[in-house]
Amino acid sequence: MKPLKIGITGVRGIVGETFTPELAVEFAEAYGTYLDRGRILVCRDTRPSGPMIRSAVLAGLLAAGCDVVDLGVCPTPSMQLAVKWLKADGGIAITAGHNPWQWNALKFVRGDGLYLNPTQGEELLDIFHQGEFAKASWDTIKQVVQTADAIDEHIKVLEESFASEAIKTKKLTVAVDCCNGACSFLSPRWLARLGCEVLAVNDDPHAPFPHAPEPKPETMAQLCAVVKAGRAAIGFAHDADGERLGIVTDRGEPLSEEMTLAIAADIRLRKKTGVVVTNVSTSSAVDIVAARHAGSVVRTPVGQAYISEGLIEHNGVLGGEGSGGITVPEVHLTHDSAAAIGLILEHMAQSGERISDLVGQLPRLTTLKHNVVVEPHRLYSVLQEFRAAVEQEGLEVDSTDGIKVMLPQGWVHVRASNTESMIRIIVEAEDKAAAQELLDWARDRIRK
Amino acid sequence: MRAIPTLKISISGVRGVVGQSLTPKLLTRFAQAFGTHTGSGTIVIGRDPRTSGEMVKHAVVAGILSTGSRVVDIGVCPVPTVQLQVRHRRAQGGIAITASHNPAEWNALKFIGSTGLFLDAGQARELLDIYHQGQYTKVGGAELRTVEEIEGATDLHIKSILDVLGPLPQTEKKLRVVLDSCNGAGSLVGPKLIEALGAEVIPINATPDGSFPRPAEPLPENLGDLCRAVKEHQADAGFAQDMDADRLAIVSEQGEAIGEDYTLVLAALYVLGHEKGPVVANLSTTSAVADVAKKFGCPVFLTKIGEVNVTDAMQQHNAVIGGEGNGGVIYPRINFARDSLVGIALVLHLLAESRKTVTELLETVPHYSIVKEKMACPSDRIPAVLRKVRQEFSKFPLDTRDGVKVMQPDGWLLVRGSNTEPIIRIVAEARSEDRAREMVNSVLSFL
Repeated sequence: MKPLKIGITGVRGIVGETFTPELAVEFAEAYGTYLDRGRILVCRDTRPSGPMIRSAVLAGLLAAGCDVVDLGVCPTPSMQLAVKWLKADGGIAITAGHNPWQWNALKFVRGDGLYLNPTQGEELLDIFHQGEFAKASWDTIKQVVQTADAIDEHIKVLEESFASEAIKTKKLTVAVDCCNGACSFLSPRWLARLGCEVLAVNDDPHAPFPHAPEPKPETMAQLCAVVKAGRAAIGFAHDADGERLGIVTDRGEPLSEEMTLAIAADIRLRKKTGVVVTNVSTSSAVDIVAARHAGSVVRTPVGQAYISEGLIEHNGVLGGEGSGGITVPEVHLTHDSAAAIGLILEHMAQSGERISDLVGQLPRLTTLKHNVVVEPHRLYSVLQEFRAAVEQEGLEVDSTDGIKVMLPQGWVHVRASNTESMIRIIVEAEDKAAAQELLDWARDRIRK
Repeated sequence: MRAIPTLKISISGVRGVVGQSLTPKLLTRFAQAFGTHTGSGTIVIGRDPRTSGEMVKHAVVAGILSTGSRVVDIGVCPVPTVQLQVRHRRAQGGIAITASHNPAEWNALKFIGSTGLFLDAGQARELLDIYHQGQYTKVGGAELRTVEEIEGATDLHIKSILDVLGPLPQTEKKLRVVLDSCNGAGSLVGPKLIEALGAEVIPINATPDGSFPRPAEPLPENLGDLCRAVKEHQADAGFAQDMDADRLAIVSEQGEAIGEDYTLVLAALYVLGHEKGPVVANLSTTSAVADVAKKFGCPVFLTKIGEVNVTDAMQQHNAVIGGEGNGGVIYPRINFARDSLVGIALVLHLLAESRKTVTELLETVPHYSIVKEKMACPSDRIPAVLRKVRQEFSKFPLDTRDGVKVMQPDGWLLVRGSNTEPIIRIVAEARSEDRAREMVNSVLSFL
């Protein structure tokens, strides 16, 4: 079976296989119908299927009677901010985030710049499945407006949210790998605005992805080399659409994407303690960091919409996930890698602390992630069988999202991916041997 | 009672009402089918300025791209400009987004093959089969191509015309013409062409914003503004285009619409005066075309209605000029398409070279009156109507290639079902309007 995921987080699939232009057209029509026309922003990352899906989305939105503003290639968080200042009713981001380049997806943003929550996602799906969409007649149909101002405005908001003047005086050397994604238009400019000497690699949005658009140590070899050769104070790695951030220290050490939140939490809680919102699948390092600064951690299901809602509910000071997505509430309540850069550089400038020293004081746990590809029709049965097996052993499960089991040497989290037809297993323990033991324990209990 | 049809999928393309049946999904699927039919390569798209044009364009672009073809988008332009661009770029095909003379709520896709001609009946059936089967070529990743938006397609069109016909010969006084573009695709390029030829132009209805200042067909009853403007500006002629700038009608220096049938007559007068050869028209075209051809000793071939039938016959007979009675002029040395810009250039050359007025030129050819009527008719009743016409007029020679054409001693009568709407068209031509009207009424009386 070919992969296609239509769910409450949007629609995602491989272009040329399951993700067809008709599907994109109909989802756009459904969203235009859901928002009762109104103004809708559209942005995309740099995948080769972007122009095709963009045209399909514009056609669907126009047909539904929307007033469409096309931001072109632009990071998703820039669009989410623009929804607010352009007083739009919503937006569609055409990006498969960290998925490989053959993939694409539609992500749906509301009038407040946040993703649809699960209930709203269900409502949109109902309209999509019913297939009865709003239709503009010839005398009400609109034309597309193009604008490229979203990134300028994003930089302006970022500049106002951090101690930019303090950062400028330090003239930090910063390396950045934009993965030839949408951040090619944002990140080097944002760093230059902060007075940094910018060593940018893979910042050509017309070139293909040089590596998987997932900021993890495996994809950061080039960035490490640049940091070392350029004696940079830090290196940042982006995904394709500006949500996730990976970090390379001044020593050229690539950090696990799980560390991004621990670093951000350490910085944030030192200044202002409070609630950090993260998902059940994220490293316990954040709990240890929060405890040091008298903060606390709230855990939600996996997905940005839950983090945003958690931040609102608990008046959180920081949000983030183990994938490297960080939410700085002063900027907006959604993952934004450029905001995470601002937070980290502000700390480095104000404290003079090296990033390697900061990291040295953080707990280093070992997280192992493993994916088990499962036929789509078996995805949820496999999970249920795992749960039954675990419960038979008398263990307690946390079912906030999937199944999380706390064991003496660490934890195991097993859940269905929101975006692909696979089971994700994440385990964490003090050291590698213990983590491997946990992973084997989990794999023994999963039967495809 | 059946709903009023708002969608027509046929060998002439797909045509429908926006906000009802002409959905973006349908359009995307048709574009996918077309991309599958042409195979990957380059596909040129252009559109008229209808309000729904942009929505339709994006749906079409998505569909084409998904099959692995590259799109060259030449923007708002006449249909013949798309056809010319397909040949110029040696593209695999083209899609013209226009519902030509249909009202503002309609839009349509017209499919152009690699020769720059519209798909013929066989090719169009293949396309429809692919559309209905729903198995479209799908590519992903690095095989996907992008859209190239180009400007200057209409400049190429003007240049092609000037390369063949040259600027107008010197006259004592610059020719002055009024151009009514119906706020259509010819609004910007028409005045540019006329100036490039060396005449003075007064444009009216030249704001391509999707509004219709008059009904789009360049019929005499729709050209009141143009007739007044010609008189007011003491112009030598008035030209009227339709929304997609393929058809052309002419107003004389006296401010009278001469009838769109006479556009081809004047164009043929000029072309045959320079180059003798076969002339092709359709069954519904005025006999004056045949009279002009006879005067120059050239043969005439009449075809079924439909641009593609005329262009087919023109290729077959190696015609030097062809066209239709609806104001469509096809001059193959420039463009194998109905082309109002070419028509304008030919007629202006005729005026400049002959130093005669439109009225004087018309006096050199026989005058006929044509009366055209249409009436709503459910498609299932059309064969019965045609049978009745055949019986009623059995004593006259009949041409039944397209509906029924009755050859009477003092004129002709044509009754046929429309290709695009559920209506019957009745056309009669005679030396006097009364006689032509009488022939039309003789049909209406028994329908």
